[in-house]
Amino acid sequence: MSTTATPLASVALIARRVRAYFAPVNRAAGLPTLFDPAQLGRFVLDTPPAPWIDLGWVSTFTRKCATKVDPLRAGAPAATVGQVRSEIEATVSLEFEVWGRLQATLASGSQQTNLLTTAAGAAPNGSGGVAAAPVPLLTGTGSASTATSLNVGTTAAAGFAVGSLVAVDVDYTGQLGYIGTGVSTAYVQSASAVGSDINYVRRVTLNVGVVIAISAGALQLSGPLPAGVPATGMRVSQLAGFCDREGASFFQEWSALFVLAGAQGDRILYHYPRLQAMQGSSEATEILAAPLERVRLAAAFRALPVKDANDGESVLCFRSYLPAALRNP
Amino acid sequence: MQNAKDTFYTTLQARLAAINPSRTLVLRGLVRPAMLVDENELPTAWIPMDAFRLQWTKLHVTSASPLPLVEMECTIQYATDGSSGNGGMDRGRLLAAMDAELASALAAEPHTVAKLNYAAAGAGVAPIATGTNVFWADPVFGAASAVGERLERTATVQVFANQEAGEL
Repeated sequence: MSTTATPLASVALIARRVRAYFAPVNRAAGLPTLFDPAQLGRFVLDTPPAPWIDLGWVSTFTRKCATKVDPLRAGAPAATVGQVRSEIEATVSLEFEVWGRLQATLASGSQQTNLLTTAAGAAPNGSGGVAAAPVPLLTGTGSASTATSLNVGTTAAAGFAVGSLVAVDVDYTGQLGYIGTGVSTAYVQSASAVGSDINYVRRVTLNVGVVIAISAGALQLSGPLPAGVPATGMRVSQLAGFCDREGASFFQEWSALFVLAGAQGDRILYHYPRLQAMQGSSEATEILAAPLERVRLAAAFRALPVKDANDGESVLCFRSYLPAALRNP
Repeated sequence: MQNAKDTFYTTLQARLAAINPSRTLVLRGLVRPAMLVDENELPTAWIPMDAFRLQWTKLHVTSASPLPLVEMECTIQYATDGSSGNGGMDRGRLLAAMDAELASALAAEPHTVAKLNYAAAGAGVAPIATGTNVFWADPVFGAASAVGERLERTATVQVFANQEAGEL
């Protein structure tokens, strides 16, 4: 038995909008997260493969190539006998459709801090004053903490409420270099620079969640913590929100994946293994009906190169096209 | 084009029926989801209440492609008199419910569906899948208008499909 099918002609891709995904870059090792479109390119948009995290839809997605191609001339009179790429450069700009911890961090262009609940009498400070004492995760008493459930004990749990935002990470004990569990979110040059603040890692961590229920001393979170099951020694701080600072020195870097899902089942994937913010925090406003305005996080990034393992080429972006089923290539 | 029209209709009908299974109407003796295509029914001046009526209006074909892109405008009219038990005073609520149902059905992912050929479909005979999809834009809701005690609204949706060789 044999089957034969007649392929259709290819057509231009038609898509509604762009979906963005985040994965961390191991800053200490200089290793981005690589996305393999040959293996994973057809993933369901709502459930990206680990460790990719959904950033939601983005608008005004614009890619710019600033790679310079110069002529090589020879002879008299000179004629172009070849070409050379004298510089490779690529940038991406976009607006996030949602304000989330991760989106705000990426768009801010620098490190973003959690506004930890302050200790009583803390002196005012622009990124939040001295934080209240963190709450330890209990071990050996009650159920073990998980990525979605934090066992703080009944006494400490009384200090939280449904809707509380929490940051979960290790104490700062003098670590130098990149810090933040799961994602490097800041660079500490010296303990004195951060005042040896025991809460400093929790102040910058992306390992945050929101409490949706409190039961038997456990805080139930709305979703898994980005860094997964809390490690031994992690503690919990409450926070009021997030803050970024114009003029801060840190450069966020992330691995990015942008997907254009075509109406015919075709798909374009733009994979930037290394993106760094190229502007400070800014917003884009859209007038809905005066005086109401919608405010989106505006972001712009510059791509940094990686080596393609197949041939050693230095690459800023991988653009992959997955045709619809049964189309002439 | 007819395949695209049929496919969009059946898709929207199924989605609306899933959102509110109790919204039904009796048409030619059959209880069915409260949605119909005017051009597929007997000509009549009767306007069904609390039901969605589809009409295919504008058509635009872009032929600069091996598979011409067809853009069709689908207008969806719906109206309610409110319920007699409430003296019609709930007509605003009932229209809002229909607004929400239609918006939800059209906003649900995916915004594409495989185009089916219903020409030979019937009892026990499934429609035949073609090679392309039907897809649509976001709906545009017109202003609600009052005609006596009746509230009605028209929404329009741009529906797209690629015309395949030999396809009606």
